Amino acid sequence: MTRQFITLDQVSKSYTRGGEKLQVLDQLDLTIPEGDFVALMGPSGSGKTTILNLVGGLDSCDSGTVSVADAEVSAMSRRELPAWRSRHVGFVFQSFNLLPVLTAHENVMLPLQLTPLSAAERRKQADFALSVVDLSDRASHRPSQLSGGQEQRVAIARAIASDPDVIIADEPTGDLDRQSADDVLEILSRLNAELGKTILMVTHDLIAAKKARRILELDKGLLVEDPQQEA
Amino acid sequence: MHFPLRLALRHLMARKTRNGLTIVAISIAAFLLCFLIAIVQGLEASVQSASTTRLVTQSAVSLFVDLPTSYQHKIDAVEGVHLTTKFRWFGAYYQARENFFAQFAVDQDRFLDMYTSDIEIVEGPGGVTGPEARIAVQKAFESDRRAAIIGTGLRDNERFGFQVGDQVPLIPMIYPRTDGSAWEFVIVGCYRPLKARIPDTTMYFRADYLNEAIVSGEAFGDHGAGVYYVNTEEGVPVEQIAEEIDELFANGPQRTQTITEAAFASFFVSAIGNLPLFLGTIGGAVLFSIFFSVVNTMMITGRQRLQEAGILQALGFRPLVSTTLLVFEGLVISLIGGGGGILIAYLSEGVLAQILGQSIQNYQITPDLVLMALGTSSLLGIVAGLAAGLPFLRSNPTEALRSSG
Repeated sequence: MTRQFITLDQVSKSYTRGGEKLQVLDQLDLTIPEGDFVALMGPSGSGKTTILNLVGGLDSCDSGTVSVADAEVSAMSRRELPAWRSRHVGFVFQSFNLLPVLTAHENVMLPLQLTPLSAAERRKQADFALSVVDLSDRASHRPSQLSGGQEQRVAIARAIASDPDVIIADEPTGDLDRQSADDVLEILSRLNAELGKTILMVTHDLIAAKKARRILELDKGLLVEDPQQEA
Repeated sequence: MHFPLRLALRHLMARKTRNGLTIVAISIAAFLLCFLIAIVQGLEASVQSASTTRLVTQSAVSLFVDLPTSYQHKIDAVEGVHLTTKFRWFGAYYQARENFFAQFAVDQDRFLDMYTSDIEIVEGPGGVTGPEARIAVQKAFESDRRAAIIGTGLRDNERFGFQVGDQVPLIPMIYPRTDGSAWEFVIVGCYRPLKARIPDTTMYFRADYLNEAIVSGEAFGDHGAGVYYVNTEEGVPVEQIAEEIDELFANGPQRTQTITEAAFASFFVSAIGNLPLFLGTIGGAVLFSIFFSVVNTMMITGRQRLQEAGILQALGFRPLVSTTLLVFEGLVISLIGGGGGILIAYLSEGVLAQILGQSIQNYQITPDLVLMALGTSSLLGIVAGLAAGLPFLRSNPTEALRSSG
């Protein structure tokens, strides 16, 4: 039986903007099994990115619990979270978020700096991650020398370099053309299918969402649809 | 290379213009710091190295009023007085007005004996050096009415290049010769100052050469002594000697004011205003402007790096890493800038000492000054880096990631 890998239990989250309280998530329950590939869809402000941030330990909830791989993320302190993130979560952002002063290889090496691996092992791991996204020949290029699709593939390589349990992708194809988007989605599908990575992806693109095993629809902080769709 | 170090260096190289300009600003600050403090230290050194047991007797009316030569034997007779010499400002130049340097008319038979611990004779007639040089120079000084002793600065400076044995014509501004000719001097010795107060660009010549020319009508001017420098005997309170000297001439024809050489040196420093305060104010204002400019530049850098701080946090780095990177970058920039400023100050030391030499003795960039400038530059870099990087510690990673970078 597949264990529940990501669990959000009665999670509420609100923000205060301009003196007004916005309830983004309201007692949300969500479970994602290990090795699943879930696409979160919904209108802007529905709480998709907030779920990613809570699962990734970038933000904290007002109430409820968030657990990932048997660790209660919502109970961790600000000091504990960075170390946990470095071991368990890989992030892929819409705007790639590569460091422009580093080469592709050095960007991929970044999360490996926090591992106990030797310098040679880090290099080897980064080489492997770049080969997974088919960018070994662009290792010494800076982000400004790469296309948008290539940048996002480097970002995926960075996300998987330290072999995390979960990959969190926030609109990974949002800034890409169709062909590049398909390439990125293909890589994410392979990571899920071949390496068993659990992937939680936010997207507005239905074509992208259909690459996932499941599509979850969010509206005003509530799950309105869980079709249990197989990709 | 260690990752954070590599990332910091990449950032430094990525913004060459901005970082270059910041380095230039810090270089100027470090140079100014060295320059201004060296001037103040030079002024203070002249006062501090002045003797508290040597007295200066001058006219009570003004320093520019000559004392009569007849006063000397009366001062000599005061109990506790060891030796005296006339000291009269001559004010002439060599060939052109810009080649001005200080000249004093002194007593040839007393001057060197009074200044044994103040100057060292390094060269005498015929190239004699060592302990014999002083004896040889004393003999030459007494045997030739035109004899003069110069400092090493006048010998070594290409503009003058006077050598022992040279005949040097000086064009007068205070005591013109009646035939319109220049005063002729023969260099018989060269000295090196042993005290910061004494410049190495001064010429001492015989007071009787000047006075006799005036009396004989060969030159215009008044017969006189300028001031008297008075060496006192050990153990006798100088205040008491000063009072006795001034009492001697209380009824004229010229009332005197006798003060210690240290007070006399202080008078010269204060005569040009409170220079240390003035320099401190100007320098401080400039340094503060540069300081805030550097801090502001680093804070702009910090704001632009907020997104990067968010990325690093998302990848698992603590916020302190981003702060430390900025502090490190600030330190590197300030050390390069500070080092550059210090290097400029060090390389220009000789030229500036020469330019300032007539008015400010002992201008030098000391190791203490270098350390202080380096320390101040480092502090500036650390403070600027902290000002830019501390906000990272309080930033929320999600907000940092949303920033425009």
